[in-house]
Amino acid sequence: MNGGNNMTSRIAWLLGLLLYLAACATFDDEGGPAPAKLTPVVIVDPPTRPGAPTLLLAMPTSPNFVEVRKGLLSEVQKNFNVSTFAVGPETKATDLAAAIEATKPACVVLMNNTTIALYRQVQAAAPTAPMPPAILMMASFLEEVQTHIRRSTGIAYEVPGVTAFVHLRSVITTPINRVGVIYRPAFGKFVERQKVLAAKENVEIVPLSVANDVTAAGLRDAIHKLAKDKKVDAIWMLNDNALVRDQEFIDEAWRAETADAKLPLIVGVSNFVEPNSPLGTLAIVPDHEALGLQAANLIFDLSDNGWQVESHAVELPLSVRTVVDVKLVQANFGLQTDALKHIDKALE
Amino acid sequence: MNSFHRPHRHASRLLAWLVLGVGLLQPYQPLQNAAAQGGKPVVQVFLQLDAKSSVVEKTLQDRLPDLAVTVFGRFRDFEDGLANGHPDAVVSITPVLQQRGKTASLQGQRGGKGSEPYVLASVNQPLDGPLTGKTIGVVDLLGRDGTQTFLNGLLKATDMKIKRVAKIEDLLPLLEFSAADGIVLPSSMLARLLERTRLAIKTKDLPGAPVGLTAVAVLNPAVRDVVVKSFQKLDGPTKQLLGIDSWSVP
Repeated sequence: MNGGNNMTSRIAWLLGLLLYLAACATFDDEGGPAPAKLTPVVIVDPPTRPGAPTLLLAMPTSPNFVEVRKGLLSEVQKNFNVSTFAVGPETKATDLAAAIEATKPACVVLMNNTTIALYRQVQAAAPTAPMPPAILMMASFLEEVQTHIRRSTGIAYEVPGVTAFVHLRSVITTPINRVGVIYRPAFGKFVERQKVLAAKENVEIVPLSVANDVTAAGLRDAIHKLAKDKKVDAIWMLNDNALVRDQEFIDEAWRAETADAKLPLIVGVSNFVEPNSPLGTLAIVPDHEALGLQAANLIFDLSDNGWQVESHAVELPLSVRTVVDVKLVQANFGLQTDALKHIDKALE
Repeated sequence: MNSFHRPHRHASRLLAWLVLGVGLLQPYQPLQNAAAQGGKPVVQVFLQLDAKSSVVEKTLQDRLPDLAVTVFGRFRDFEDGLANGHPDAVVSITPVLQQRGKTASLQGQRGGKGSEPYVLASVNQPLDGPLTGKTIGVVDLLGRDGTQTFLNGLLKATDMKIKRVAKIEDLLPLLEFSAADGIVLPSSMLARLLERTRLAIKTKDLPGAPVGLTAVAVLNPAVRDVVVKSFQKLDGPTKQLLGIDSWSVP
């Protein structure tokens, strides 16, 4: 049991790292994926309004977290005081506890796995103390993580497969009815949930499990099996570090086999869409500012409902940005009429 | 007595000059902004259309070379733009202009009408009956309170929960994830929704009045002619992109 939990934790950390990198990948002005920007941003909270309840935002200060904060702040600042607690590598649980004690928030918003882990330590150190309601965001495996945090709900960070499939359908002309996904055992529950959602849009997810230590050759075999035996129409690459561990691994497994299979590949990192070295056909990434609006909606809902967080299930992210390798689409899958009107970044 | 009043008189004179100065400067503020944009009148656009705002912006910039056009896809960005950009003209749907106290100088029309009905879309069956406790998704057009009021007017109801989304395409996930019982959208956007989804979408016409289509409000009278003429000259496909097929002068 513990071993299973440890494995889940380790995978969550690895996935968290990948999601963090995905969160740091930004769009540049030229239309191409920009390198990760990790420079912290100086954050200034709005002036305090006497009598207004306080929201404590505990978060890293890299650009995409700041983007979420921007979207959130623009919605809530008329109703709440906002206090931002920057979380960095040196931050300790006691620092977070002190920030909570000092601000006495009506609600805490915790962004990323590290921040949530610190808050979990805060709760563990005071197991019977009353805790403010918590909203968890921008963290991997949120549905699982949330069960360990008292008085919490949140918004998942992984973009649901169904969102990606619907977008892919609106970009390419080849039909998308069966989508293959390769996953490691720890992702089993996640994939099961995705199957249910995808079925609503008449997409069948065809899952294929691989070992935790899958090799490039093993992964290549799995992709080949999905393409040739299972006859899938597209492949969905999960944001799992072990399946995209480094450039060599990606080249040997994903790039080689998907090029051979001539299947559209859906990815969750915009940098994987690169017409000069084709890999991903479509990248679907969270729209961070819109995620802030979604979080604000959640905060208002909870506030109106007496902060009954326990009765509020973890939400799925509603808004995404799309990056498409148009050259690859035109060459292999056909571009839908008007598709370019609906793409955030069309790369050629 | 004199010595007592002198500073007061000086202060009054200074105040009078300040008031006069502000009065003189105020009407020219938009012109200063236009000059800052290479002399072109500044036009800000906020519309929810069947295209990304970047596509709409590029198209309008190409087709309206005499204007400096910025297109906002989200309400909050539009709000910031209005506050800080001091536009000479604003393009949006009528309720957005009305909320800001702006009057349309040009009203877009489609099929001879300047407004369109909105619909309530849901999955499997129309959302009939009272909406008490139901969650309804809608694009954030007017901020939290403004959008709630707008929706109350459209639905002729006040007791439902509202879920605002940033963009029109974010409405579909609300239905896919069962995060809302229904979504409200312009009837002209229904075709695109049905094209994207295989959910069994059912719709219901809303009891509220139809909503005004794209309109242009000129805020700076000095540039009225150039703005109005530029928009009137737009070609058919661009007008179609804006959700209209002609203009009328109210």
